Amino acid sequence: MRNRFTVQVVALTLIASFSLTGCSWWHKHFGPKTPANQTGGAQPGPLGGGTSVSTDIQPGERPDLNGPMDRTQFAAQVVYFDLDSAKIKSSESSKIEAIATALKGNAKKLVIEGHTDERGTAEYNRALGEKRAAAARDALVAAGVAADRMTTVSFGKDKPVEPLHNAAAWSKNRRAEFVVTGQ
Amino acid sequence: MKNWFWLAICLVATGAQAQVDIKKNFVKKSVVVTSFTGGANVSDVLKNDLRLSGSFDIKAAGEPAEYSVSGSADAAGVKCFVTQTATKAVVLGRAYATTGNARATAHIIADDIVQTVTGQRGIAQTKIAFIYSPKRGVKELAVMDYDGFNVRVLTHDGRISGHPRWSPDGRKIAYTSYWKGFPDVLEADLATNQRRVLANFPGVNSGADYSPDGQTIALTLSKDGNPELYTMNAGGGGLRRLTYTKGAESSPTWSPDGQTIAYVSDDRGSPQIYTVNRSGGEPTRLTVSPAYNTEPAWSHPPAGADVKPMLAVTSRVGGNFQVGVYDPGTQAITPKAAEGDCTDPTWAPDGHHLVFAKIHGYQSRLYLLDVRTNEQVELPAIAGESSEPAWGSWH
Repeated sequence: MRNRFTVQVVALTLIASFSLTGCSWWHKHFGPKTPANQTGGAQPGPLGGGTSVSTDIQPGERPDLNGPMDRTQFAAQVVYFDLDSAKIKSSESSKIEAIATALKGNAKKLVIEGHTDERGTAEYNRALGEKRAAAARDALVAAGVAADRMTTVSFGKDKPVEPLHNAAAWSKNRRAEFVVTGQ
Repeated sequence: MKNWFWLAICLVATGAQAQVDIKKNFVKKSVVVTSFTGGANVSDVLKNDLRLSGSFDIKAAGEPAEYSVSGSADAAGVKCFVTQTATKAVVLGRAYATTGNARATAHIIADDIVQTVTGQRGIAQTKIAFIYSPKRGVKELAVMDYDGFNVRVLTHDGRISGHPRWSPDGRKIAYTSYWKGFPDVLEADLATNQRRVLANFPGVNSGADYSPDGQTIALTLSKDGNPELYTMNAGGGGLRRLTYTKGAESSPTWSPDGQTIAYVSDDRGSPQIYTVNRSGGEPTRLTVSPAYNTEPAWSHPPAGADVKPMLAVTSRVGGNFQVGVYDPGTQAITPKAAEGDCTDPTWAPDGHHLVFAKIHGYQSRLYLLDVRTNEQVELPAIAGESSEPAWGSWH
């Protein structure tokens, strides 16, 4: 009886101490790996402005959009899209070729912006804008531009070039723009 | 195709046998609110709350009414009495300590009156997050009381923000922010005013929505090629991919039991609403007509509520955007708001009020609608545009 009691006490003590300390040991050696804290780089300021808080997601390199950006080089190669569509029309493919040619023999990088017209919801349009930027990126990859030279960013319907509310303006706002960053 | 997930959830949530989603025989109760002595502010706000509840027909002084509300306010607090005219019974008699905030006290009283008279929990103390645009090209995160008052603009980034969603405990808001020029998901802590990054992968990070238990966040990421649906732990990490299509997925919303996610996919051409299990697997298509449906919002009425869970959607019909409610039995969508371009419905926790955005004259404003009557009210206008509302839960 005494032995069994002692065994029980010892067992419970072991279980209790394992619970207090062993879980972290367990997770350290067998648990899911969490992404490393991002080192360096700015953090979002608090609401209303000021200092800030952590991110524990590693985003992969992204260009600094506050750095020098050249919108003029490919201003004539803005690719336009049909309503609801992210398909690069054959009428637009010469622009892709022109961009691909201009990117040969140098190390220029591109930010490809995807945009929609103002109609419809902000959230779905953010996804559609990304599809448009991705379609332009994929077309450039097919034309020989290395994928790691290009970054996509969707602005959905939030950055129209034409402010009017008619079909002509809408057709000019459904677009992908090509911005040169870095050298 | 009947979605058995959907029907099972509806039956479990209400135990109801009704086919209709909305009480067809709903009748308002008539009430007259006499001015509170010493507290015109309280009675004005209270009257508005009872009107917005959609459950009351507000009568003028002297008109017959089933209930009458009276009270008095002084420095110590507010007393309120609700009398049932026919029986002369005082169905509610309560004293409220006021912190000097007449609006807040009135909202508490209104919820007590709604609870007492209708047996349902009121929404007068709830909050709505939304996107506030003071000028073109700038969109900030804001919150307000459900009645459109006490607007607080929370961010001053001078950039684009979008798609706010409350954590179920009301302490945090996840939203999309272009703080670094890219669409990232941030989480704002309203108590500490701090923000942290939830997702800043290459491509689009957006559409964050908390599960009903607050532990998981569904969101849209395009880091693996094109926008797809993912879940992650609300605390960070634990990323799991749910969809694998050549189209774009977006706009997740959780079922009341937290097992199913409804979302948008345009994989078959135009955007339609689908559901998928929270662990992934074969999606089920919900909507077929009209050709374009986005921004599903799944209501989470409390157990014992007089409405079933419903899915509100934004449809495009002949170029016009409408807010409607989806019927899983017929796969039809019943329009609830179709004048002007109506988009982005969000449900009150009572499951029978919606707030949505209406674009009229190219200006976006927020409206409140009771799906039992389809009555809609424009929320008080503020300078600038309001869009993408998100109704917070009770807590």
